[in-house]
Amino acid sequence: METILRAHAEQQFAAELYELEEADRRPRPANWRLSPWAVATYILGGTLDNGFEIVPKYIGNGRLIEIAIATLTTDRALLLMGIPGTGKTWVSEHLAAAISGDSTLLVQGTAGTSEEAIRYGWNYASLIAKGPTAEALVPSPLMLAMRNGRIARVEELTRIPADVQDALITILSEKLLPIPELNQEVQAIKGFNVIATANDRDRGVNDLSSALKRRFNTVVLPLPATAAEEVTIVQQRVHSLGQALELPAEPPALAEIRRVVTIFRELRQGVTENGKAKLKSPSSTLSTAEAISVINSGLALAGHFGDGVLRANDMAASLTGAIVKDPIHDTVIWREYLETIVRERDGWGDLYQACRALV
Amino acid sequence: MIEPPPFLHLFPIRHHGPGSARALLAALHGLKPDAILVEGPADANEIIPWLGHEDMEPPIALLVYRPDKPDAAGSYPFAEFSPEFQALRYGVQQGIVTRFFDLPQSVMLAAVARPLMPDTAVFHQIAQAADHHDYELWWNAAIEQRQNQDDLFTGILELMTAMRSAAEETLPPAMDEKMAAAHAQSGQIAQQREAHMRHAIRQARAEGCERIAVVCGAWHAPALCHLDNAAADDALLANLPGVDVETAWVPWTYGRISATTGYGAGIRSPGWYHHLWQMGQQQATPTQMSIHWLSHVAQLLRDQDLDASSAHIIEAVRLAEALAAMRGLPAPGLPELNEATQTVLCFGDAAPMQLIQKRLIVGERMGAVPPDSPMIPLQRDLHQQQRRLRLRPEPETITLNLDLRTDSHRERSQLLHRLNLLKVPWGKITPIRGQSGTYQEVWQLAWKPEFVVRLIEAGVWGNTVETAVTQFATHQAEQAQDLPTLTHLLDQALLADLPELVLSLLGRIEAQAAVSSDVPHMMDALLPLARVLRYGDVRQTNPELVRHVVDTLVTRICIGLPSTCASLDNDAAAEMLDRVTAVHTTIATQQNEDHLAAWEATLRQLADQPGIHGLLAGKATRVLLDTAVFQPAEATTRLERVLSGATNSANQLTQMAFWIEGFLKGSGLLVLHDQALWQLLDGWVMQLDAERFQTILPLLRRTFSTFSDAARQQLMERVRYGRTAANQPITHPTFDEVQADKVLPLVAKLLGIQS
Repeated sequence: METILRAHAEQQFAAELYELEEADRRPRPANWRLSPWAVATYILGGTLDNGFEIVPKYIGNGRLIEIAIATLTTDRALLLMGIPGTGKTWVSEHLAAAISGDSTLLVQGTAGTSEEAIRYGWNYASLIAKGPTAEALVPSPLMLAMRNGRIARVEELTRIPADVQDALITILSEKLLPIPELNQEVQAIKGFNVIATANDRDRGVNDLSSALKRRFNTVVLPLPATAAEEVTIVQQRVHSLGQALELPAEPPALAEIRRVVTIFRELRQGVTENGKAKLKSPSSTLSTAEAISVINSGLALAGHFGDGVLRANDMAASLTGAIVKDPIHDTVIWREYLETIVRERDGWGDLYQACRALV
Repeated sequence: MIEPPPFLHLFPIRHHGPGSARALLAALHGLKPDAILVEGPADANEIIPWLGHEDMEPPIALLVYRPDKPDAAGSYPFAEFSPEFQALRYGVQQGIVTRFFDLPQSVMLAAVARPLMPDTAVFHQIAQAADHHDYELWWNAAIEQRQNQDDLFTGILELMTAMRSAAEETLPPAMDEKMAAAHAQSGQIAQQREAHMRHAIRQARAEGCERIAVVCGAWHAPALCHLDNAAADDALLANLPGVDVETAWVPWTYGRISATTGYGAGIRSPGWYHHLWQMGQQQATPTQMSIHWLSHVAQLLRDQDLDASSAHIIEAVRLAEALAAMRGLPAPGLPELNEATQTVLCFGDAAPMQLIQKRLIVGERMGAVPPDSPMIPLQRDLHQQQRRLRLRPEPETITLNLDLRTDSHRERSQLLHRLNLLKVPWGKITPIRGQSGTYQEVWQLAWKPEFVVRLIEAGVWGNTVETAVTQFATHQAEQAQDLPTLTHLLDQALLADLPELVLSLLGRIEAQAAVSSDVPHMMDALLPLARVLRYGDVRQTNPELVRHVVDTLVTRICIGLPSTCASLDNDAAAEMLDRVTAVHTTIATQQNEDHLAAWEATLRQLADQPGIHGLLAGKATRVLLDTAVFQPAEATTRLERVLSGATNSANQLTQMAFWIEGFLKGSGLLVLHDQALWQLLDGWVMQLDAERFQTILPLLRRTFSTFSDAARQQLMERVRYGRTAANQPITHPTFDEVQADKVLPLVAKLLGIQS
C-alpha cells in the first residue's frame, strides 16, 4: 500500500468511518453505512462521545453540507456546482465514502464520454462468440451502483455532450436502466443515488437540458468567505508548491499575498473590501487557484530574473494576464480599477506603476 | 409560581407574533372578557374605535406626535397578524372596554431617556438551552409555529418569570458614571411603564370589570401579577413630565415593519408571518404551510419567467422536511424553506432569493386608513407650511410668478418642488418664454381632492414634508437601476433643496457609475454634478463628496470614451459630439490638472483613432487646437491628412465633410485667420468634380450655417475678393452720395463731433 500515491477517502479515513459507525445510534436510510447526522459529522468534523476526534473535511458553511445530505436522503440526485477550486470533487468523494463506504463508482465527464460509459458496454470478443448474453455485458459504474444500492459519482457533468447527458434522465427519474438487447432491466435498489459535479464557468458549454436539470438538487459551493481564510489557503499552497518546484526565491511576504488576494476578491465581488466603492467584474474566473499561480509565477520571475525577493514588478505581468482575458472589455475594467482604487491606496504606488506600465 | 388574581387574565405575547395572535384570539373567544387592555400609549385611546372602520386595512401604524414638532413621534405599527391588533379589533367589535395601558407617549416624548430593554443575553441562554443558536428562530419554532396551543400563555408566563429572575441576578456590565446615570434613568422609565400598566388594571377593576384580558409583551407579564401595592405605583407615577401630543392612524408597509421601529424590535419577515397567520386561520398542517409557501415562491419565479413546475414544488417540500428532520425541528422553518427553494427551484442560484426576500419574505403589502380619520402629521405639516407661505389650496388653476431671489418666493418654490417629488403635483412648472434667467419660475397651481389620499399614503415615509420626500426619493433612488433616472432625481433634489437626499443620490450615482458601462449616461450625469460643484448649489453638501464623484466619473469617461466612440452612426455621432462638447466645457471650467491631462489624452486618442466617425475626430482635433495642445501647423497637417484620401468613394467623401464639420463647428473665424487652412480647404473643394461637389454640398452647408452672420459675410467676401474686406471702401453702383450726406450732420451730433 505504501507505493500508492493517493488512497481513496474510505481507505485514508477508514478509522474515522469505523468509529462513527460504532457510535452511530440514529436511524440510517436503507443501505446507508451511516445515519445522515453521522455523515454530517464526518464531513464537518467533531468529537465523538468516546473522545475520538473527526477531522473536518470541508471548512466553510456547514448548512450547505446539511442540504447536500438531506437531498441524498430524499433520493434526489445531488449536483455540486462552483467555480474551479471550491472543493466539489473533494466533497462528493467524501459523501460517497461516508454514505456507501465506496467512492470508486466514478464516471469522469469529458467531451469524449460516451453513452456506454454511463449505461453499459460489451465485451466484444464474448459478444461475437456467444451473442448478447449477461456475461458479455460490461456494466458501467452507474449500473453497479444501482445493483448494489451505492452512490455513483459523475464528475464534470457539463463537459459531457448533451445527448449523452440525457442517458441519465431515465436512471434518475425511473431509477431504471433497460437493457433491450437482453430484454432485461436493472432496477436500482434502495441506497442508490448520484452525485454530480459541474463547473460554474462551463455554463453554456454543454448546458444541462431542463429535463435533466430538474432531476437534480443544486448546491453551489462558494469561494472562501473571508479574505483571511483565502490568504491562508493561498499561503499554504504557495509554500508547498514552491518546495515542489524548488524555486530559488524567498517565500513571499504575507503583504504581497494579501494584495493579490484583495485584488482578486474585490474584482470578483464587484465591491471593495471596505464595501465603500462598487466595481465592475472582469470576465476572468479569478479563483483562489489563480491567485496561487500569480504568486508562483511572480516568485519564479523574482528567483530567476530578479533579486530573489517578490516585488510588484514581478507580479504585474501575471496579475494582468490573470485578470485581462478579454482584451477590450477586461482592459477597461482593469484600468478603471487601477485608476480609481489601486492608485488611491496607501503603499500600493509600486503596484500601480508596475501594472499601469502594462496596460 | 405567582398567580394573578382571578379577575385578571394575562396574555403574554410577542409583538407581531402570528402564533401568539392565533392563540390569543381563540382564548379571547373562550374567555369573553368585559375589558381588554393592550400594551400601547394610553393617550391614544380616543382613536381606538377607528379600528372597527371597514376601510381600515393593516398594516397600519399608530402615530403619537407633537403637533409643533411632527418629527418627534412614536410609531406603533400593527399588521393583521399582530396580537395587539387582533385584540383591539375584537374589543371594538364586541363593544367592551378596550384601552391602551402603557405609559402615555406624552411622557415618553418628554423624557430624556428611552425605557430600558431587557438584556438580550438571557434570551440567548434560553435559545442555547434548547439547542438553538438564534433566539428568534427558537421562538418561531417553539411558539409561533406551534400546533398545539393549549396552556401556551401559562407556559410563557412561567418562562418569563424564570427569565426575569435570572436577569435580575445577572450583574449589569461595568459602566462609567455617565452611562450609569443614563442606565438608572432608563430603568426608572421601565418601572414607570409597568406601574402605569398595573394602575390601569386597578382602574378597570374599580370600574367594575370582572374579566380583564391583558395583552402585553411577554417580558412585562410577570410584573403585572401583583396589584396590591397601589401606593408604591402612585409614587412612581407622581409628577410625570408631559408634552402636548396628537394621535393618528397612518398606512404602513411591511417593508417598514421589518425595519427596527419604535415598537420594540422590528421583525425580519413580515411576509412570512402574514403567511403563517393566514394558514393558521385555516387550521393548516405544517406540510400544507410549506406547500402553500413554496407555491407562492414558484408563482413569483414564474412571473419572472423562471422555470418552476409543480414537480419542483414537491421536491422542495420534501427537501425542506428532510432538512427539518436533520436539524431536529418539528416543521420546516423559513431557513429550511429558503434553502430548499434555492437548491431545488433556483438550481443553486442565489440571485432569485433576493427577489423572494423582498417580495415574499418581507412583502410589499401596504395598508390603508379611512380618508376621514384624524389628520396625520404630514398633512398637518403641509397645512402649517401652506399658512406660513400664504399658499392656499384652491381647486381652480392659479398662476404664480416666483422670483427666487427673495426668501419667501424661494421657499414656495421649494415646497412645490418637494410636493412634486412626493407625487402630489399641486403645482406644475411652466417654461418661461424668451428668458433663460434662473431666478424666475412660473407655476400653475390647482389642488385636487385626491391629493389628500396621496398625502396619507406618503405619511409612511415621514411626518414632515421634508423627511417624507427625502425618504421617498431615497427609496426611489435605491430602486433606480440606471444613471439617467438618478441624475434626473438629483436635478429635482437640488431644486427642492434637500441636502440629505442629494447626499444619498451622490452615493447611488457613484455606485451606479462604477458598474455602468454606458459612457453617454455618465457624460450626462457629469453636468449637473459639476454644476453643484461650481455654484456650491447645495448649502450643506460637502463639496469634497461631490468632487470625489466627479473625479471617478471623469476617470471612467476618459477610459471608456474611445471604445464607446468606436462605431457610431451619423445620428449617434452627432449626439456624442454634443456630449463631448459639454464634457469639455465642464472639465475646462473645473481647471483640475488631473482631469485636464486625462481628458487631453482621451481627445488625442479620439483624434488618432482609426475608423472613428469624422465628426468626433474633427471635434477632438479642434478642441486640442483651441487648448494649444496642437500647434496650428499640426492641425493643418491633420486636416491635410484627412483630405488626402481618395475622393471617389462616397463614404470617404462624407467622412471628410463630417471631419470638417466637427472641426469647424461653431466658429468659422479659424478659417479666416489661418491662411494655410484656408488654402487647404479651398484646394480640396476646387479639385472636386461637379457630381462629387453636389454630394458634399449639403454637408458643408450645414457646417457653414452654424457660423455667425458676420463670419459668413467675411468668408463670402474673402472668396469673392481673395482677401478679407475689413477696411475696403464701399463702392456700389447705386450708391447715392447726396442721400448719404444728409445723414452726416445728425451722426456727427450723436458722436459729439463739431463739423
